[in-house]
Formats: sequence, C-alpha cells, structure tokens
Amino acid sequence: MPESRNSCLTRPETLTAIGIIVVAAGFLVPTFDLRAISALLPAAMLIGLIVLSVFLLLADQRKASAGEDAAPMTTSPKRVIGAFLMIVSYALACDFVGFYISTAVTIPLVAWTFGYRSPVGLLIATVIVVGTIWAIFDFGMSQDFPTGRLWGR
Amino acid sequence: MYSDLLHALPDVFAWTNFVAVVIGVIAGIVVGAMPGLSATMAISVLVPFTFGLEPLVALGLMAGIYNGAMYGGAIPAVLLRIPGTPAAVATTFDGYPMAQKGEGGFALQVAVVSSSIGGIASAFALMLLAPPLSKVTLLFGPSEVFWVAVFGLASIIFLLGGNPIKGLISACFGVFVSVIGSDPIYGNDRFTFGQLEMLDGINIVILLVGLYALPPVIDLLETPLKTGGVNSSKLGTEPIWKALPRMKYWKTWLRGSFLGIWIGILPGAGGSMAAFMSYNEARRTSKNPEKWGEGEPEGVAAAEVANNADTASALIPALTLGIPGTAVAAVMLGGLLVHGLQPGPMLFRDNPDIVFGFMWQFLFGAILLVLLGGSLATNSFARLLNLPRPLLGSVIIVLMLIGVYSIHGRMFDVYLMLGFGAIGWVMDRLKFPLPPVVLGLILGGFAEENLRLALRIGRGDPMVLFQNVTSLILVALTVAVVVGPTLKKRFIDSRKKA
Repeated sequence: MPESRNSCLTRPETLTAIGIIVVAAGFLVPTFDLRAISALLPAAMLIGLIVLSVFLLLADQRKASAGEDAAPMTTSPKRVIGAFLMIVSYALACDFVGFYISTAVTIPLVAWTFGYRSPVGLLIATVIVVGTIWAIFDFGMSQDFPTGRLWGR
Repeated sequence: MYSDLLHALPDVFAWTNFVAVVIGVIAGIVVGAMPGLSATMAISVLVPFTFGLEPLVALGLMAGIYNGAMYGGAIPAVLLRIPGTPAAVATTFDGYPMAQKGEGGFALQVAVVSSSIGGIASAFALMLLAPPLSKVTLLFGPSEVFWVAVFGLASIIFLLGGNPIKGLISACFGVFVSVIGSDPIYGNDRFTFGQLEMLDGINIVILLVGLYALPPVIDLLETPLKTGGVNSSKLGTEPIWKALPRMKYWKTWLRGSFLGIWIGILPGAGGSMAAFMSYNEARRTSKNPEKWGEGEPEGVAAAEVANNADTASALIPALTLGIPGTAVAAVMLGGLLVHGLQPGPMLFRDNPDIVFGFMWQFLFGAILLVLLGGSLATNSFARLLNLPRPLLGSVIIVLMLIGVYSIHGRMFDVYLMLGFGAIGWVMDRLKFPLPPVVLGLILGGFAEENLRLALRIGRGDPMVLFQNVTSLILVALTVAVVVGPTLKKRFIDSRKKA
C-alpha cells in the first residue's frame, strides 16, 4: 500500500532528521576555529547527530516505502500553533509592555480561547493569580519583573 | 558511616524544613491528581523558585512533591479511569471497577496506605544503600569518573527501551548543549555567537522547564480533557483507621516494595514498569486471579506500593554516581545542582547534613502521605478534577515565565526556554526520550572535564582510560548495557521460533 502523503519527505521523522542534519552541520563549521581538544567533544556530538539522523531518515523512508503511514504529530494543529503563538506573544508582551499588564490579559485570553468561557470564573482566577504573584514575589520576595521596554525602562 | 544520618535528623525538624515537606506532599497530590501534569513537570516548574531558599527547604519540597504525586495519580485513575501519572496506569485496572461498585473511597484508601508503605520502604533503601556506595565511589579517579558518566548515559539510552537511535540523538543533543559556553580549561567561547548571556553555558533549569513543562501545557490546551466532574460526596469514604483492618496485603506490599526499589535503582526503568511488574506478580500468586480486573483491592495495593517504592531508590545511583534512575530523579539532580550540590562521590563527604536530611525528608514525606491523603483530604483532592484545563494551562504558562525569568532576571532565558520547549514538544511527539537530554547536559561537562584530566595525567595517551580494573569493569558494564538488549531480544526470538 503506498504512503498516503503527497511526498514521503514530509513525514515528521524525515523532516526532523533533515532539520537535525542541517542544524548540526551549521554548528560544525565554528568547531574548525577551536583548539583540537576544545573541539573534540562538540565535534564528536555534532558528527554523531548527523550520522544518527541519517540512520533515522533511512529507517523512516524504509517505513514509507513499505507503506507504513506516519502518525500525525497532532490531531489539532491549529490549537497547537495557537498555543505556541500565545506563549511566545506573552513572553514578547512581558518584555515590551510589562509583566503585570501582559499577565492580566494573557490568563483570561488563553483560558477563553481554549474553551473556558465563564467571565466570572476568568475574572476571579485572574485576580487571584495576579494578586498572589504580586503578594508573594513582588511584595514578599522583592522580585523585579519586566517593566516593559516600550516604557523606556 | 550511619552516624551522619542520625546527625542530620534534628535539621529536618526545623519548622521551615518540615513545613516544606508538608506543602510538597499536598502540592504533589494536587499535581498527581491532575491528568496531564506530572511530578517531573511540577518539580521542573518549582526548581527556579527554590533559588533563594535554604537547600533543605527546597529539597523537602521536591521530596514531598515526588511522594505526593505518585499517590495523587491514583485519584483520577480510580475515579475516572484516567491515570493522573503514567505510573498509575496499573491502578486503573482494579481501582476503576471498585469505584463503579461504589468502593471508590476504599480504593483510594488502599492506594494511599500502599503508596505510603512503598515510599517508606524506598526511603529506608536510600538510607541504607547510598552511604556505603558513596564510600566506594570516593576511590574513583578521573578515568573512572569518565567511564561512570559514559555508563550512565549508555544505560539511560539503551535500558529506556524504545528506539536506541532516538535515545542516542537525545543524548548527543544533551551533551552538545553542555559544551555551549566557555571551555572549562582554555576559556574559548563555544557556540555563544557573541551572546554574553551564554558565556556561562546553558542553565539546567532553563532546559528542564522548556523540555518538561512546556509540552504538557501545550497538551492541556490542545485537547481540553472532559472529565465529566466528580461528585466527591459519593465516594463512600470512611475514616482510614476503620478501613485499615480490611487491608491484609502484607505479602503484596513486601513483594511490591522489593520490586519497586530494585526497578528504581536500575537506570532507565521507572514507576510504570514497577507498577506493572508488581501487579502481574501479585496476580500470578493470588488465590483468585480470576477476580483481578473486576475490582480486586489487592490489585490497587500492588500497583501503588511499587510505584512509590521506586521514588527514593531512583536517587541511590543519582546521589552516589550522578546517574538518575528515572526522569524525575534526573530533574531532581538538576535541583541539587541549582543549590551547588554536585551529585556524586563528593556529595556525601562535603554536604552530609543536606544529603542525609534529604533522605529523612523522603521518609517523612512518605509517612505524611497517609495523614494528608487520608479520607477527608482525598475527598477534597477529588474535587480538583473539576478544575478547567485551559485555566490551569494559562496559570502554568505564567509560572514558567516567572520561574525562568527569576534565575538571572533577564528575558533572554525565557526565549531560550521557549526554544527548548519547542524542541521538547517535537521530541515528545516523535517519542524521542527526554531523560538522555537532561543527563547529557549534567554528565557532558563532567565527562569532558574528567576525560581531559585523565588524558593530561596520561600525557595524551588514551590508554590511560583502560589502565585499571575499575575502568575495565565500567567499560564491560557499558558494553553489556549497549549489546545486552539486542542479545536478549535475539535470544527470545530464537526461543519463540524453536
């Protein structure tokens, strides 16, 4: 039975193996500028990664040619991409806008987007979490959080 | 040898240290009861918050969480047939049928008592076995230490099961991450790309949080679990002292404890394997095996005693040799490193109060399980299953950011953690094992330093690595670990054919 994907090169393991080979080869270049003893372990690991990834790629392609379908990485890619983007956006917002504003927006936004739709529950949860963080970390432990680059501090 | 153990006892009773264990056990039960969250993730998220704490307070929290989570996993396993942790899968076999028959409360009491017994046995094993082993390892020189690191990596890669190529890729990645930063001997920058933040190398906590905490959060948001809610008032829980006389499982507890301890010591094996083996053994020796799977309380006892018996014992190779037996032990090694405690031979000599205090905390954590996870608390913990997953996910995201940011007070670490998180998610989905990455990071620098030291002693001659009996034994053990599983598989295949 043929593989159901359009191209057998788009199988997740094959793509991962190709990615590792490219990245490891890229990292291998700077090792030529190092002393031999300093480069020994990193070069060995990078070459190891390349060789092992070739094995992984071949094994996966063999499975593809045998008609074995690769399991999908996720059943709901939109939710996964959305979750990643929200986490990255939250980190960027903390960096540029400031921690408290970003957190107060992120908690209800993430929970609402991913299925929790009780406005009262969201409000209570946000107040409790932000308040507890302020009381424990800011007030109790004098922890400084990002104030936001946009405010010039 | 054991006088240090007694000497450390008073420190454990300092109120801060004791409260830390109590909080840890409660937090552990909560985390374990939440399907999708694990002890590994909880400790990963916790570690950065413990920077400013005294080592025993931090370690007490970790010991408590580890113990609590192993029992907490039984709550959804019994009530919803959803194991809260992977180690609680075997608990569902008889726990859920008991809950369907209206014996959910008793099933949870069997689980908590069995978990406590397993934890106590495991803590005693740690106390008795780790000190003498540490004395032996004090005799190791650079070449032996190098081989110990190689053996540790090999055992995690090849005994973890699954695909050895993926295990090796994980380990190579971990070791590669360990070389980022300044060269420890010549001071050359390696792969820092001009970033000052990377000169000191990659902090293990950043890697731990990225690899272990971010993928479960994505899981929580990807498929919000419909638990259906648990009416804890209908658990039918009676006070634990009334339920205790009905629990006559001494043989099962004893057998499960031994199995759990043994599997905990073996690098690469874990609580799931311990629980399954204990369950199978108990069923095999039962007088009425036909009842198993239909709500036999002894099945719950067998699984729960074993998955708690592997907790402290997994730290025996971790504390003495720096080789963790399980993923949680690998994360705990990271926690020790954060507090300046280098696992390995010197740990017992340089920090006896802390390391032995940690062992006592494991014991108290296991005893506290019965008190904190008893009838009243179990009802409360069962209600936690009704918490909305998306809300939980968003709170964990915030905690991850705070924890990583607070290490050095810079956003660079947060971005780095997100990068490791993305890698961790891909690895998780493609079934690349994560413990070799952590171990690679821990042992990579250790192995490189000792290899270079040994080569210096031997004036560049690599034969210095094979010049004494201990090194040769460690090489033989490494070879055995590498080829053993293949030989075993061939032997089984040939017997099947015959």
